[in-house]
Amino acid sequence: MKHIKTLETRNLCQSAKNGGCGECQTSCQSACKTSCGIANQQCENTKKEMK
Amino acid sequence: MIHRYQLGEYYIVLDTFSSSVHVVDKVAYEMIGMFADHTKEQVLNTMHKTYGKDPELEECYEQIEQLRQEGRLFAADTFEPLADRLKQKNTNVIKALCLHVAHTCNLNCSYCFASQGKYHGDREVMSLDVGKRALDFLIENSAERTNLEVDFFGGEPLMNFDVVQHLVAYARNREKECGKNFRFTLTTNGMLLDDDIIAFANKEMSNVVLSLDGRKEIHDRFRIDYAGKGSWDRIVPKFQKLVNARGNKNYYIRGTFTHANPDFLKDIRQMLDLGFTELSMEPVVCPPDDPSALTEKDLPVIMEQYEQLALLMLERERQGKPFTFYHYMISLKDGPCIYKRISGCGSGTEYMAVTPWGDLYPCHQFVGEEEFRLGDIWHGVTNWATQQKFADCNVYSRPQCKECWAKLYCAGGCAANAYHATGSVQGVYKYGCELFRKRIECAIFLEAAKADLHP
Repeated sequence: MKHIKTLETRNLCQSAKNGGCGECQTSCQSACKTSCGIANQQCENTKKEMK
Repeated sequence: MIHRYQLGEYYIVLDTFSSSVHVVDKVAYEMIGMFADHTKEQVLNTMHKTYGKDPELEECYEQIEQLRQEGRLFAADTFEPLADRLKQKNTNVIKALCLHVAHTCNLNCSYCFASQGKYHGDREVMSLDVGKRALDFLIENSAERTNLEVDFFGGEPLMNFDVVQHLVAYARNREKECGKNFRFTLTTNGMLLDDDIIAFANKEMSNVVLSLDGRKEIHDRFRIDYAGKGSWDRIVPKFQKLVNARGNKNYYIRGTFTHANPDFLKDIRQMLDLGFTELSMEPVVCPPDDPSALTEKDLPVIMEQYEQLALLMLERERQGKPFTFYHYMISLKDGPCIYKRISGCGSGTEYMAVTPWGDLYPCHQFVGEEEFRLGDIWHGVTNWATQQKFADCNVYSRPQCKECWAKLYCAGGCAANAYHATGSVQGVYKYGCELFRKRIECAIFLEAAKADLHP
């Protein structure tokens, strides 16, 4: 019996090698303007990969 | 570092440094809780007392051990030594500006963090020349970045709409010759929206942020004109018109909740009833002695509202009537890289605010605080000491974040919130942290539940 289901998440170690292009959205340019969180920013490179 | 929590019917375990998300059963949940500081024998003995000598228990233990060996549970922090280098990568490049095209407003909201658009200074609108120079400054300092973001902000930016229009036209010309791609956002209270402005916004703005606090009585309590009259009746039809004509482009109905409405789910329901589906609801930012400030007593109410909101979203997803809540948008698979997760919002480095006079500040929330003036759009940054404080901000620079499981989702938090709560941009706004952690729990719960709905 499987007790654990792991959701697919981004490999952060890999992103240390190929990330950091800086093209993604600045978090405060979206809807908040008074708090900070980066979790909802999508990566521009994975977006390109999806197209 | 792991974080375990239960929400709805779900047991969830997050592994901070691998960013893994595990949906587990109750047995695995309990076992993972003991795993780090007990031997296998101790863990199994304890579990046997509750569940009997079931061989499944050892099997479960082995599944946990396998995830540990794969680096997806109890992963070590390999990023801390890289933090300065990772953050440094994006220093000296500016890619986003908040253009304060109007330090004035046609509403007089007492809870406004920008003191009714004046930012504790004089009323002023940005001239076209200052605006053009700001766009040139952004292009000149954007190095290899292609995507440049400009938010037309205020005050109320539509009080200077003519300049907004001309600046967009100017940017569209310049982006072609410079190989850039401008993405514009308009943040508005809606009072001046008309058919022409709606058509312009829907054509040119990548995102539109529409300020509406939800229920009429809540909205009109604060969002009043200078005659003291509420604005709800005047703006809602305009917002509906804009959204109906917007197609698939981004927008947010953005509300603020205060001590007057910690039960903000009612306001979200009102927004849904009005036909809006892209929603954001932000905790008010104001001094603690302000009557609208959120209190410790409000905290459990807000926490419960966040959970109820997640459950409502799931229910609507099941019904085929989904809606978006800004803070529950989380991209597990295609989310930000470790650079972004360590560096945060980029205020004062890659993101700055420009006043109507062309002064530069680390972000819109610091405008009017003279010590934070970084320079101007003609001479660039000259206040290096202050900028360095922002360049030094990263997820590892705040000791309070060391033990926080959510740090790689928040990237160290909002420097302005930290400053206003503690007097230092390197401080921590603990109340905001509580809310943030809850929102991430809810966001990940929704991802887990949606994965079951759409396998």
